[in-house]
Amino acid sequence: MNTLDRNKLWSDIKSKYSIYFVLAALFVISWLSNENFVSVENLSNISTQIAVGTILAFGQTILIISGMLDLSSGSVLALAGVLSVSSYKMTGSLLISFIVAIITAVICNMLNGLMVTRFKTPPFIATLAMMTMARGAALMYTNGQNIYQIGNYVVFGQGKIMGIPTPVIFMAVLLVVTWYLLKHTIFGRSIYAIGGNEEAANASGINVNKTKMKAFIINGILVGIAGVLFMSRVNGGMPNGAVGYEFKALTAAVIGGTSFSGGIGTASGTLAGAFIVGFLDNIMVLVGVNSYLQQIVRGAIIALAVIYDIWAKTKRTKRKHGSVEAK
Amino acid sequence: MEIKLRVSNVDKSFPGVKALDKINFAVKKGTVHVICGENGAGKSTLMKVINGIYKQDSGQILIDGKPVEISNPIQARKLGISMIFQELNYMPEMTIEESLFVGNWPTDKYGKVDWKTIRSRTLELLKKEKLDYDPQTKLKDLSVSDIQMLEILKAISYNSEIIIMDEPTSAITQKEVEVLFEKILELKKRGTSIIYISHKMDEIFRIADEITVFRDGAVVDSRPKEDYDMETVITQMVGRKLDSVFQKEEIELGERVLEVRNLTDAGKFENLSFSVHEGEIVGFAGLMGAGRTEVMRALFGLDPYQSGEIIIKNEKIDIKNVKSSIDKKMVMLSEDRRRFGIIPVRSVKENVSLSSLKRFIYRGRLHGEEENRTVEEFCKSMNVKTPTYETSIESLSGGNQQKVILAKWMVTDPDILILDEPTRGIDVGAKHEIYKLMTSLAKKGKALIMISSELPELIMMCDRIYVMSKGKITGMLNRDEFSQERIMAYATEVEIQEGVDLA
Amino acid sequence: MKKWIVIALIVSLMASVLTGCSQPAAPAAPAETPEASGDKVYKVAYIARAQADSFAAWLANAVVEEAGKYDNIKLDVFDGQANDDTENGLIENAITNKYDVIIVQPNNGEAQRPYVEKAVAAGIKVITTNARISGIPGSSSVDADPYMQAKVNCDLAVTQVPQNANVVVLQGPPGNFHADARRDSWQKEFFDKRTDVKIVGEEIANWNKDEAMNYMETWVQANDKIDAIIAMNDNMAAGALEVVKDNPKFKDILAYGVDGTAEAVLLIKDGLMTSTSLQSAYDLATSLLDTTNKLVTGAEKEINMDIDCPLITKDNVDQYIEMHKKAGAIK
Repeated sequence: MNTLDRNKLWSDIKSKYSIYFVLAALFVISWLSNENFVSVENLSNISTQIAVGTILAFGQTILIISGMLDLSSGSVLALAGVLSVSSYKMTGSLLISFIVAIITAVICNMLNGLMVTRFKTPPFIATLAMMTMARGAALMYTNGQNIYQIGNYVVFGQGKIMGIPTPVIFMAVLLVVTWYLLKHTIFGRSIYAIGGNEEAANASGINVNKTKMKAFIINGILVGIAGVLFMSRVNGGMPNGAVGYEFKALTAAVIGGTSFSGGIGTASGTLAGAFIVGFLDNIMVLVGVNSYLQQIVRGAIIALAVIYDIWAKTKRTKRKHGSVEAK
Repeated sequence: MEIKLRVSNVDKSFPGVKALDKINFAVKKGTVHVICGENGAGKSTLMKVINGIYKQDSGQILIDGKPVEISNPIQARKLGISMIFQELNYMPEMTIEESLFVGNWPTDKYGKVDWKTIRSRTLELLKKEKLDYDPQTKLKDLSVSDIQMLEILKAISYNSEIIIMDEPTSAITQKEVEVLFEKILELKKRGTSIIYISHKMDEIFRIADEITVFRDGAVVDSRPKEDYDMETVITQMVGRKLDSVFQKEEIELGERVLEVRNLTDAGKFENLSFSVHEGEIVGFAGLMGAGRTEVMRALFGLDPYQSGEIIIKNEKIDIKNVKSSIDKKMVMLSEDRRRFGIIPVRSVKENVSLSSLKRFIYRGRLHGEEENRTVEEFCKSMNVKTPTYETSIESLSGGNQQKVILAKWMVTDPDILILDEPTRGIDVGAKHEIYKLMTSLAKKGKALIMISSELPELIMMCDRIYVMSKGKITGMLNRDEFSQERIMAYATEVEIQEGVDLA
Repeated sequence: MKKWIVIALIVSLMASVLTGCSQPAAPAAPAETPEASGDKVYKVAYIARAQADSFAAWLANAVVEEAGKYDNIKLDVFDGQANDDTENGLIENAITNKYDVIIVQPNNGEAQRPYVEKAVAAGIKVITTNARISGIPGSSSVDADPYMQAKVNCDLAVTQVPQNANVVVLQGPPGNFHADARRDSWQKEFFDKRTDVKIVGEEIANWNKDEAMNYMETWVQANDKIDAIIAMNDNMAAGALEVVKDNPKFKDILAYGVDGTAEAVLLIKDGLMTSTSLQSAYDLATSLLDTTNKLVTGAEKEINMDIDCPLITKDNVDQYIEMHKKAGAIK
C-alpha cells in the first residue's frame, strides 16, 4: 500500500509538473551543448527576447482557460505601439504614451469582447476580424512607414533597473499579476468555470458575459504593455511589427499546458512554455544549427512537448477514473 | 444450458485502489444476466475489461470455454461482444444509415464507399427488426430511445452474441422501456446473451434470468432470479438492511416563502401560480414535456419570462439572472447534471465553492484554508466519496457528483431549493441520502420544490403536489389526497400524450 | 442602455483615433482628370507588391506624388497584399479594365510572369519594377540592381574589414529575389576575395529588426570578437546595431546594409553604421513615370533601365538626410 501511495504521489507530481521537467531537461541539454548558454548575460538575453511574446501569452492563457482565444494580439500590439510611439513624439511624455498604448489595446479588445458576448460571434472569428482591422489601422495611421527617432521612448524596452532589463521586470510583474488573477480572485475562478462548462457556470450564478468581457479587457492591458515594450525594443514605431506574435503566444500557452478545450492552465506553465521555446531558439543559434533545420527542430520539439504533457495527463485521469469508480 | 461467457478470477488494480477483486461469474447462452450494485461497485470497470477498454491484471475471460485476449473494443466486436453505453455518444448530423455502418463502411474494389449496399442493407435490417425509419433521417431528429434501438441494431448487424447494456432505461420513457424489453426477449430467443446493468428493482425482476450482485469491487452473490427477492438484492447491494421505503417526517409549516403569480412564457408555460412555505416540500408532477423544468428555469433566472410576478418573503423580486436568485437565497439543482451542474475538468473543491466565492475571496485574496475547511465540512455532511478534494469532479460516480452539486448549493445557505429530478441516475444508497437531506432541510424551515418523474418518490416526499400538463397547472393535491391515479388524471387532463414517464 | 453607450463610446473613440491622426493614404482615390486640357489622358494601373511592406509603401507614395506632375496620366494604385493570387488577379482586372499602362511590382516574378505576358499580348504597355521580370519581349522595366546594391558595399568592405575578421551575416527571406541576389553579391565580391574572413553566425532574419536583434544578442554571447555586421537590408543592420550600440567591446564594429532608409542614414551620421546603398523610391518613381510617359506618347517602344545605387557613407550622408527630411521621414 505504501509503494502504491508513493507511486500515486509520483505520478501526480509527474503529470502536474511534467512541463517543468521538459524545461529542466532542455536547460541541462543546452548547458552541456554550449559553454556560453549558462551565463548571466545569455540567460538575461533569452528572458528579454521572450518577454513580449510571454506577456501576450499571459493574455492568451486567460482567454484560452475561459474557452476563447485572441488572434488579434500581434496586430493590436502594432496598432497600440505605433499610436503610443507617435503620441510620445507629439507630447514627449512617457506616461501619456504608455497610457495611449493601453487604451488603444483595451478598446480593440472591448470590441472583441462585444462581438463575442453581445453578438455571439465565435472568438476565433471575432479576433480574426480584429487582427485584420488593427493591422490595417496601424498601416493607415503610419502610411506604411516606420516611425524613427523615438528618443527616450526606448527606456521602456532597453532600460535596466538594478541590472535587470525592463522587459524582464515587466514580464515578472505581469506573471505575478496573472497568477494572482487566476488564483486569488473571483474573476479567476469564474474563467476556469466558464471554460470548463459555460452553461454550468451560468447556472451557478456566474455572469458569463461580464467575465468574458473582463478577460478581454485584461488581455487588452497586456497587449498594450507588450506593444510599448516591442516598439521601444526595436527603437521605432513599426506598423509591420510583431506579425505572427499571436501564434508565438498561443504556442507558449499551449506548450505550458493550457488546454484548448478550456478550464485548464496556469501562468507559470505558460512562462515555462515560453522559456522552452526561448531556450530552444537560443541554443540552436549558439550551436550554429542550419536555419532551415532550426524550423524543423522547433516544430518537432513543440509537438513532442505537448505529446508528453498530454500523455502524462491522460495517464493520470484514467487512473483516477478507475480508482474512484472502484470505491 | 451452455456457458457463453465466463469471467474467471479477474483482478484489476488502479494505483491505491483494488477495483476488481477476483471476479467470477458466468453468462449462459440466450439469457439475460443482470448485474446490479451501487455506483462505484465495479460494474462498469468489469464491463470495460470485457469490452477491451481496460486490461485485467490477472485472471481470464473465456468465450465458449476458450480463453481470449481482448485488448480493444474492435477486437471485442470481432469476438461477438457489443456494448451499449449508458451515455450515448452520437453525431447529431449523421443519418441512420451512416451511423449503422460508421467505421465499417462497405467499399467497392476501388475503395469508394458503396452507398447502394449501405442503403439496401439498412432497409433490410430495419425491416427485419420491424423499425419504421427512413435510412436518411438524421440522428438529431430521433429520440434517445430510437438511438438506443439503433445501437442494438448495430450490435445485431455485427452478429454479436453477447450484448452489454449499461443502464439502458435511464433516459427513456416507460413506453419505450416496453419496446426495449420486447427486443431483449426477441434477442434472447435468437440465442444472444445479454448482460444488463441496472439498479431499478422492478426492471431487474422483470427481465432477469440470473442476477449477480456487486459490491466494493467483488461479487457478493450470483444466482438465478427465482432464488432472489427484492429485499435480498438491496441488502446485498448496500451491505446493510435498508428500508426500501423512506419514511417522511411530519414538519410544521411556517410562513409562505415563495409565491409565483401568473408566470408566463408563451409557448412554454402560461399563467403559472403556486406557493411554497417554510418547511414544505412541494412536488411538481407531469408527463415529459409538461413544462415543469421550463418553469423552474425561468423562476431561477436561467431563461427569461414574459410576464408574471415572483414574490419572495413578501417582496416582489425581479429575477434577471441566476445571480439575483442566489442573492435571494434561491437555488436550483438541474436535471441535467453534466450540462448545467458540473465543471468537469475542475476539482471537487472548486465545484463546491463556485457559487459562494465571496465567502472565500475577500480583502483581495483567496482564503484557502477557509475554503478547504468549508468544502470538507459540506462534503462530509453530504457523505461525498472522493479520494481528495483536489480530484477532478468528472472522475467521481454520478451519485457523488450529484452530492457535490448539492454541497455547492448548501454552501450558499439557501432558503428555497428547487430540485429538478434530484435522484435521476443515482443508486439506491445515494437516493436515500438525498431523501434524508431533503427532510433535514425541511426541518430547518427551508422551502423545497421537487420535480420528479417517479410518482412514488413524489408521493413519499411531498406535502403538496402540483400537476402540470401542457404548460399549465391542471391540479393541486394535498398529502391526504395523493394517489398515482389522481395525479395521472390531472397530468393527462388536456389530452392523452405519448411518452408517459411514470415509474 | 448602458451597453449601447459603451458601444457608442468605443466606436467614436476608434473613429477619432483613425481619422483624427492619420494622413490617409489616398492613392486609391481617383485623381481629378484634367480632361479639359484636351490632351488624351492615359489610365495607368500601379500594382504594388504590398502596401504593408514599408519600402513598397514608400515607392507607391512616391509614384503617386510623381504622377501628379503629369497632366496626361491618371494613376490608380492597387495592393497585391503580398499574395501572388491577389496580385495576379489585379493584373487580370487591369487588363479587363483596359488600362493603357500597367506597372507591376511583383511579389514573386515568376508567378506574375504569365500574367504580364498576357497583358503584353493584349496590347497593354507593361513596366515591371523592383524587381524586374526580365525576358518578356514588349515589356519594359525599371529597377535597381540588387547585385550592384550589395556590390558597392562590398567594394568598401573588402578594404575596410580587418585581417582575419569575424563577421555575422543577416539574410532576408529565402527565395526572395533581392535577398538572394544581395547575398550572392556578398559571396562573390567579398567573401571569395577575403578568404581570411570567418563567418561566425549567419541567420535568416526575414528583413525584420526584432528578429535581427534576437540573433545578435545570442551571437554576442558566443563570440568575444565580431568585427562586422553584414546585413542584406538596413532594418536588420539597425537591429544588430541596437544590441551592441552601448557595448564598448564592439564600439569599432562595422555595419553594412542596403536600402538607405531614414534610420540607416541617421545611424551613419552618428557613426554607428558604416555604409549602405540607396535604393531610392524617388528615383524609381521618377524613372517609372518618365518611362510611362515615353511609352504612351510613343517616343519609345521598350525601355529597360537601372537606377543608380549610390553608396552612402559618413562623407556624403548629409545630402541623404536632406532627402529624407524633404520626404518628412526625418524631422
